[in-house]
Amino acid sequence: MATIFKSRQISRETSLGIILIFSVGLTGFINPRFLTGDGTRDLLTSTATVALLAIGIAPIIIMRHIDLSIASTVGLSAWVIADFCAKNPGFTWVQCFIIGGVIGIMVGALNGLLVAGLRLPSLVVTLGTLYIVRGGVYVVSNSVDYNAQEMPPSLLNLGQKVFFSVLPFPFLLVIIATIVTAWCMKYTKPGRDCYAIGSNPHAADLVGLKVFRRTFLAFVFSGFMSGIGGVFYLMRFAQVDSTAFYGQELAVVAACVIGGVTILGGSGTVTGALIGALLVQTIQGGLAALGVDAFWKSAINGFLLIVAIFADRRLAARSERALLAQRIRERE
Amino acid sequence: MSVNTVDKTAKRRRFTFTWDTSILLLLLLVCVLASLTTDNFLSAINISQIFSNSSEILIIGFALTFLIITGEIDLSVASILALSSSLLGWSYSQGAPIWLAILIALAVGSLCGFFNGFLVTKVGLGSLAVTIGALALYRGIANGILGTNTVNEFPDFWTSFGFDTIGTSAIPKTLPAIIFLGIVFALLLHNTPFGRRTLAIGLSPEAARFAGINVVRHKIIVFTFTGFMSGVAGVVYTFRFSTAQADNGVGLELLVISACLLGGVSIFGGVGTMWGVVAGVLLAGSVESWLTLREINAQWRTIVTGLLLLISVAAPVLVGKYKAKAGKI
Amino acid sequence: MICLGVKVAIKGDLLLEMKGVHKRFGGAIALQGTDLSIRAGEIHALLGENGAGKSTMLKILAGVHVNDEGIIQIGEKDFITGSPQESINQGIAVIYQEPSLFLDLSLAENVFIGRQPKKGIAIDWAFAEEEAARLFDELGVHLDPKRQARGLSIADQQVVEIAKALSMNANIILMDEPTAALSASEVERLMTVMRSLRSANKAVIFVSHRLDEVFAISDHITVLRDGATVSESRTTSTDLQRVIREMVGRELTELYPKNEHPIGDVVLEVDGLTNPAYFRNISFKVRAGEIVALAGLVGSGRSEVARAIFGVDQYETGTVKIKNINLKKGSPVEAMAQKIALVPEDRRQQGLFMAAGVNQNISMESFDQLKGKVFLNFKKERALTDIWRDKLSIKFVNQSDPVDRLSGGNQQKTVLAKWLATDPDFLIVDEPTRGIDVGTKSEVHRLIDKAAGEGKAILMISSELPEVLGMADRIIVMREGHQVAEFSRKEATQEKIIEAATTGKKG
Repeated sequence: MATIFKSRQISRETSLGIILIFSVGLTGFINPRFLTGDGTRDLLTSTATVALLAIGIAPIIIMRHIDLSIASTVGLSAWVIADFCAKNPGFTWVQCFIIGGVIGIMVGALNGLLVAGLRLPSLVVTLGTLYIVRGGVYVVSNSVDYNAQEMPPSLLNLGQKVFFSVLPFPFLLVIIATIVTAWCMKYTKPGRDCYAIGSNPHAADLVGLKVFRRTFLAFVFSGFMSGIGGVFYLMRFAQVDSTAFYGQELAVVAACVIGGVTILGGSGTVTGALIGALLVQTIQGGLAALGVDAFWKSAINGFLLIVAIFADRRLAARSERALLAQRIRERE
Repeated sequence: MSVNTVDKTAKRRRFTFTWDTSILLLLLLVCVLASLTTDNFLSAINISQIFSNSSEILIIGFALTFLIITGEIDLSVASILALSSSLLGWSYSQGAPIWLAILIALAVGSLCGFFNGFLVTKVGLGSLAVTIGALALYRGIANGILGTNTVNEFPDFWTSFGFDTIGTSAIPKTLPAIIFLGIVFALLLHNTPFGRRTLAIGLSPEAARFAGINVVRHKIIVFTFTGFMSGVAGVVYTFRFSTAQADNGVGLELLVISACLLGGVSIFGGVGTMWGVVAGVLLAGSVESWLTLREINAQWRTIVTGLLLLISVAAPVLVGKYKAKAGKI
Repeated sequence: MICLGVKVAIKGDLLLEMKGVHKRFGGAIALQGTDLSIRAGEIHALLGENGAGKSTMLKILAGVHVNDEGIIQIGEKDFITGSPQESINQGIAVIYQEPSLFLDLSLAENVFIGRQPKKGIAIDWAFAEEEAARLFDELGVHLDPKRQARGLSIADQQVVEIAKALSMNANIILMDEPTAALSASEVERLMTVMRSLRSANKAVIFVSHRLDEVFAISDHITVLRDGATVSESRTTSTDLQRVIREMVGRELTELYPKNEHPIGDVVLEVDGLTNPAYFRNISFKVRAGEIVALAGLVGSGRSEVARAIFGVDQYETGTVKIKNINLKKGSPVEAMAQKIALVPEDRRQQGLFMAAGVNQNISMESFDQLKGKVFLNFKKERALTDIWRDKLSIKFVNQSDPVDRLSGGNQQKTVLAKWLATDPDFLIVDEPTRGIDVGTKSEVHRLIDKAAGEGKAILMISSELPEVLGMADRIIVMREGHQVAEFSRKEATQEKIIEAATTGKKG
């Protein structure tokens, strides 16, 4: 009986955290460099963008929607920022962030209007915007590439900045974003409404929750994070072409699901999404250290995702079985 | 993904029937405009090019249509294509006779499809999330098998089959096969009990149970079938380009799904026609061809596909709202 | 703390008054002159058969429906109708039979959903949890406000809903069949809760079929029949027999087209059928040409038995024999092969494909009649549809029209056509005339009788007593998953059936 009373959310994040620590330890054991300052810094750098996007998309998945356009938005944002910077050499990193944010918000608003306003299925809508944005990048960029010379030095410096010799600046932003978003998800009405809408959309309507507003806001948020993701991309790679960040949308969703944000909606946390992103990256690092071919990387991602979904399902089945057992007792 | 209210589906069906006629008209329109604004659009060479380039999308689309109609989805089809292609190349390069290599490719495709179906139906996992995982898993295995290697040496008979045309005409050898498949699948969907049951499951899985349909078994069959056809597409792709590599077909799954949706297959299930899907695929292909001939950046095609996709879902809703306002409902 | 401007009541205050309320739905009359008076500090039971209008009354008060005529007053003021939000504002809360909580959220959050208490800009969870715990205590129940709602029993979910109602300062709490899904101990607990509400000078209006419970807990009883109030009495001044008579006391003026048919061999035999969660030890036989009715209250397990026989649901122990052959369990395909048909309870969700055409629905089970070698013959499908349209007088414009355009009666006929087209030996019909107009009702009864005349064995599940008494050769009564009584056509009366269905005692 005790298992029913345990809140599912608590057990998921904690167990994930434990798995993460274990994986880090194991990877460090195989490859001692992993546990050094350098190794940690590399891990955090490579995770930063995916983690940021995972945090952005978590509220959407909690509301039983999906946003496939995130990766394309990152590419669009990165290229447009680079374009502005190349044409306005006086830009600083502040303007970069602003442009990125604005672009992301615009794409998010488009998604939000269609999904929340017209009540269209989010899979199809964001698939459509994925295409429009991706094609848009190609067309707008006209195969022009930008590299480090065109970037504002202040931006690149920021990208290189490391705190305490392990914490890269982008990941610091990720941590801040996680804390702020997690706080909002727990302590504000818009955040709580996301969970309610995802848990029982019908009842949410009946109770009078502002479904349109919350859904729209969630998509704008996801877009915004993707836009900032574009800035992250530039900070990390210092160059961009029209194929930037191509195809990463599913990796982000996978990080979320592994982190406990179930695709069925209604549960999961932003913190979990972050841990999910880190976990995936750590496991890959560990496998690389074991000499496993980098080519198996994607297979492992896929496998982890399936395992995560399976675990979700088992938990749900358990409470169903308990309810059934109760029914049986009643009927005696 | 399969949440639907009965009434919504009814409205969608009534309009979608008009939608797949609209798609055909749109296709016609595009062809007319293209032929007016370019020199070669209607040439035999060009038309056959359009078909060739759409081969894999059509092949997978034929099966995926059934799957979407039952209310499920499979995002791993392109990865199954890649895996089949890789295994085809790898086993051939290891000395297997070509027919065996082809069989292996097809068998693996079916197995992948079956695995997907098993996870979704028997274990009860949602198809969207599962096939996202499968997408990564299968391509990853393909990567693991071939790495960055490619296999380019294949028997001439097969590569020429993929590449050549019939006699001196411009008709690619693959075209009759695809047309044949198309007719078979259309008949299967619209004229057989199997097709009816597929539609029934999509319209109402619960009523399907009460109608004596073994929903689980049916879905597994459709999933396996989708995997098989993805394998076929993998074989065709490999021979068309004389290349087996793990990167084949990246992003193709979205092209197939959008073609199906464009063609009037409802994402909620229960609705769809095969000719709508064919029209959707050809429409996308024609637009690309038109752009290429006009030397416009072919990436406009991507934008147009996206726009059409949005229109295909938004239009019924907007039309419904307009009608309600005008008091006609 | 959360004040909605609702006056706190004093015991005995007239909280609600309904006079002469009428409501129609299209052609069907739901209420024709209902009265109700509710005072603070009372538990008021609303009784009546299926279709008497109880649900409609509740829904009008809940703001879901609007009455056509009649006066409704809350306290001194006129009741603002048609808006669930307004009903809440006027101090009315509804607890439905199936509570819909947000299963992923905590109990405290469910209680305060949409109105979470704040401290500054942040939600004050500590306060919410304290308040929720206080409310649960007030109701005399132990629940942990921090725990997730998922996994909570229906009984506990109800308590959470009641706590929510209290936190919104509801004065009148409506409950629709609250004990239908509860065990004996949970019913006890709910009664404790109801008593707490009464002491707090709230009014509880509850709809129930469990007459023993009604007499145990209520102060007043209002009986509805055919949409009108028949009586309103203090519980202490009436008794079970009188109440039953008031509920059903009509003359059976409707003639049922029942003919005597020769009854043949046993077609279906069920023995010791058990699915511990829904029914136990069900055994009966149905013969060719016989109509056996399965009567009982909603939730007694009748539909589950039918589904288990047909194979849509599973059962654990027991056997089903069709024409003396053991029927494989859990396989509708097998059942259909053995010529069993089931017309399900919910025609919209289970019996029909609403977006598909009439022809496609009718032909769904009859593909062998339509097939050439491999392909379906559309001409044959059209012909089949025409045949059944004529046989059953189904009204539609085009064969390909989606079935959801048809009226309820014609939809039901379509489902019947679909199954009759398979020429079954054993036919189960579950609530065959629910939600259908009077004219079509008797057509359907004629059809069922005709089927019996053709030698089919028929099991009819119905909650409408006149129908049961009018059509059946034998009546089996179920209660809480158990078989409690059996009556022959001659000895059965409405009172006997209701008594068996509600109390389990044979007449």
